[in-house]
Amino acid sequence: MAKAPVLTDQFALLDERLRTINKLMMAKAPIAQTPKELVWTLNKAKLYRYFPVVPAEKRHSVPLLLVFALMNRPYILDLRPGHSFVEFMISRGYDVYLLDWGAPGPEDRHLKFDDYALDYMPRAIRKLKAVSGCKEFSMLGWCIGAILTTIYAAMRPDDGLRNLLLLTAPLDFSNKKELTFARWTDEKHFDVEKVLAAFGNMPGEMIDYGAKSLKPVENYVSNYLKLWDNLDNVRIVESWHAMNTWVTDNIPIAGGAFRQLIVDLYRNDRLMKGELTIRGERVDLSRLRANLLTVIAEGDHITPPCQSEAIVSKVGSSDKELFRVPGGHIGIMAGSGAHKLTWPHIDTWLGGRSE
Amino acid sequence: MSEDQAEKSKPKEPTEMFREMRDAYIDSVAKAMVDVVNTEGYAEATGAMLNNSLAITAPFREAMEKSMQQVLQQLSLPSRQDIVALSERFTNQEMRLDDIDAKLERIEKQTHAALPPAATAAPAKPESPKAKPEMQAPANLPTTRRRTAAVKQAPPRRRAAKKGTRK
Repeated sequence: MAKAPVLTDQFALLDERLRTINKLMMAKAPIAQTPKELVWTLNKAKLYRYFPVVPAEKRHSVPLLLVFALMNRPYILDLRPGHSFVEFMISRGYDVYLLDWGAPGPEDRHLKFDDYALDYMPRAIRKLKAVSGCKEFSMLGWCIGAILTTIYAAMRPDDGLRNLLLLTAPLDFSNKKELTFARWTDEKHFDVEKVLAAFGNMPGEMIDYGAKSLKPVENYVSNYLKLWDNLDNVRIVESWHAMNTWVTDNIPIAGGAFRQLIVDLYRNDRLMKGELTIRGERVDLSRLRANLLTVIAEGDHITPPCQSEAIVSKVGSSDKELFRVPGGHIGIMAGSGAHKLTWPHIDTWLGGRSE
Repeated sequence: MSEDQAEKSKPKEPTEMFREMRDAYIDSVAKAMVDVVNTEGYAEATGAMLNNSLAITAPFREAMEKSMQQVLQQLSLPSRQDIVALSERFTNQEMRLDDIDAKLERIEKQTHAALPPAATAAPAKPESPKAKPEMQAPANLPTTRRRTAAVKQAPPRRRAAKKGTRK
């Protein structure tokens, strides 16, 4: 006869589940495992080249450079085997490079978009060209990485950029009603100078708090309940662990760049108005002539779709496309559906333009 | 009766019912919270909290920095500002080195292209049995590092020669 469950068994089970959750939250998941080599460094920035898996004669001739945001680690693009955009792209025959900005220290508090777009990026691209032996290249910018790539592409139109892919790009800040961040960082409530005087750089923890506070219940409650309910499902636990490792690995934004993001973009929308100046030169979006693909996440609460739509009408490119994907800011590239929708579309679009 | 219908007509377990109720409640709270954080009042409250905390901690932070600077000065140790200034100089130097490296690479390529094919081709056999193969660093290193690595591998001929002349 089967024994009735004893209360102590229930406690033991509860204890085991709590221990598992604790372990998952404390230990880091193995991430960014696609083999790569370091080809260039400057200050904290590093340029990696992923080892190709497709024979040279079957590879696309134009290399692809990935540029991620300043406030998170770029390994979201190579989260874990089988769920990695980088792995997908090298399997499709692309020569993939990744620009990792690294974590700024106190000595980098003055770094601005100007430095990233005109000092770091051109040098990294010069190295990419030397290593790949190719005069042209494609570039993918995600989130703030998309701001940097857009500025670069508009200011250096003759540098050999053939294709530009912008993912969830926060470029248009005119619709203040839709932008919760704009409300929070309005000069009535938020003193950017006071924060930077205290910390030098904008601390990663504060950025993380801000991003999570946009959907507080989902991020602080539902996220953990989802894990609790699925603790016996290895697939879901592995995916949660990898994502949690990335989400909790925050880095600060350099003070100068954060000031520009708030003052020039969130408050004054200078890029879209054509008033943003970088090293004394106006950023003229009509000078951007590369083929353009803008990917918009329909359910994005960090970069609402209205921020990425207007760029298509502002650039001087003749070949441009706006692609909408159901999903959130990160989910469209790292979620379970990314390999069925976003990645294949990027491959199809880029493949035809990389020969 | 189909399997789906059979599944639906089954009485639900109490835990399942509790979970559904919980999720429905959380969903409604989540929607309400999104509305709350989007209000002007929330922006004002968080802004005030941040400003207050910065205002309260600022004198302590300044006092701490001042006293630390004095201690380091007494001990003849570099302060945070000194190290920051040094790091900034390093970055500038690194940038210049990167440009020099790129120029050298270009010159190397141009020189290589200008040379006749016979001059660039490697000799089939070493001229003397003592001749050593050229020092080579791993190919996966950046050019600057390859050069440094090659220099490190090279025998200290010059130093030996200098010592010899001094004698």
